[in-house]
Amino acid sequence: MSTPEADHSRDPCPIVILNDFGGAYAMGVIGGSIWHGIKGFRNSPYGERRIGALSAIKARAPVVGGNFGVWGGLFSFYDCSIKAIRKREDAWNAIIAGFCVGGSLAVRGGRKHMLNSAITCAIFLGILEGVGMMFQRYMAYANKPVPMPVPDQGAAPLGA
Amino acid sequence: MWLFGGSSKKQEDNTVVASTPSSEFVSEKSNTPEITNSLQSSFPTIPTFDASKLHPLAGLDKELEYLELDDEKLSTIKGTGNGILPSRGWSDDLCYGTGTLYVSGLGLGGLIGFNEGLKNLPSGSIDHVTGVVKPAPFKLKLNTVLNQVTKHGPHIGNSAGVLGLLYNIIDSSLDAYRGQHDDLNSLLSGALAGAIFKSTSGIKAMGYSTGMMTLAAATWCGFKRLIN
Repeated sequence: MSTPEADHSRDPCPIVILNDFGGAYAMGVIGGSIWHGIKGFRNSPYGERRIGALSAIKARAPVVGGNFGVWGGLFSFYDCSIKAIRKREDAWNAIIAGFCVGGSLAVRGGRKHMLNSAITCAIFLGILEGVGMMFQRYMAYANKPVPMPVPDQGAAPLGA
Repeated sequence: MWLFGGSSKKQEDNTVVASTPSSEFVSEKSNTPEITNSLQSSFPTIPTFDASKLHPLAGLDKELEYLELDDEKLSTIKGTGNGILPSRGWSDDLCYGTGTLYVSGLGLGGLIGFNEGLKNLPSGSIDHVTGVVKPAPFKLKLNTVLNQVTKHGPHIGNSAGVLGLLYNIIDSSLDAYRGQHDDLNSLLSGALAGAIFKSTSGIKAMGYSTGMMTLAAATWCGFKRLIN
């Protein structure tokens, strides 16, 4: 699947799904620990704040991690599948993959809910891709090659 | 020229002969017909396509070419790598380890939940007037199975994922601290991960969990030995 635009900083496709599952899960667990640790600490009465934070982390952080992990892993799975089908890598891959993820995660909520969720996810990823593209363009503009200064042909012999 | 495989070596020899500095002008002249002859004779007999005879640069004789990474990006800690996938350091270990454990936990839990759901399928309702047993509708049965799958799958998956996360974080820290990656690190991080995982459930549960995780780490080490 080595299209010219392929991103070589990431692993190749079938195996990268596991990596994304793990990465997203780890991100969710660590972020969820911080989030629910603070939340549990603040919501506990004085004298039980530390144990409150700990039990909130125990109860909630793995769930947050699981939600993140399933989202990231499913997204990677759909992204790889779409890459394999379309044989190209562009922003539409992410948007279609986001659409599929949103739909899949809402599959038990009925058709209307699925469609809503899918469109929301697709728009979210579209915005993400758009921002990425703008950033890329800005970086390219900031680092654009500078033309060589043209030597002043009339003045040089006189000055020398 | 190496695209044509077998003929490349012969040709190289000829060019070496032709360009040796000791060869005089006359001898060089006498060599040229030979080159053209050998070229002409080799062109019609282009061998059938054989990946192993290609130039090594192409690397087409290897099977899983895509699993190779740049050497300079690979982890520098001694004894690293598990023999299955190349590792670029702690982040690769963490992501792949956690991801594999999480996904397999999710799958195992899903299977258990599927089994549970099939065991607890709703029985049909009995019409009290006629006494006829009305079977439960398919949607209700599907819902029961799916409820059980989504109850057991994430539970086991999350537990396995947390264990994998703890194990890999501790293992990588120990690797970096000791400067090498060996079975001792693995066993120790397994024990610590098990202890932390059950640290709020009392000494006995902690002991069980520590023992189980040490055993699991030992199994993993043995498995790595086996396949390497």
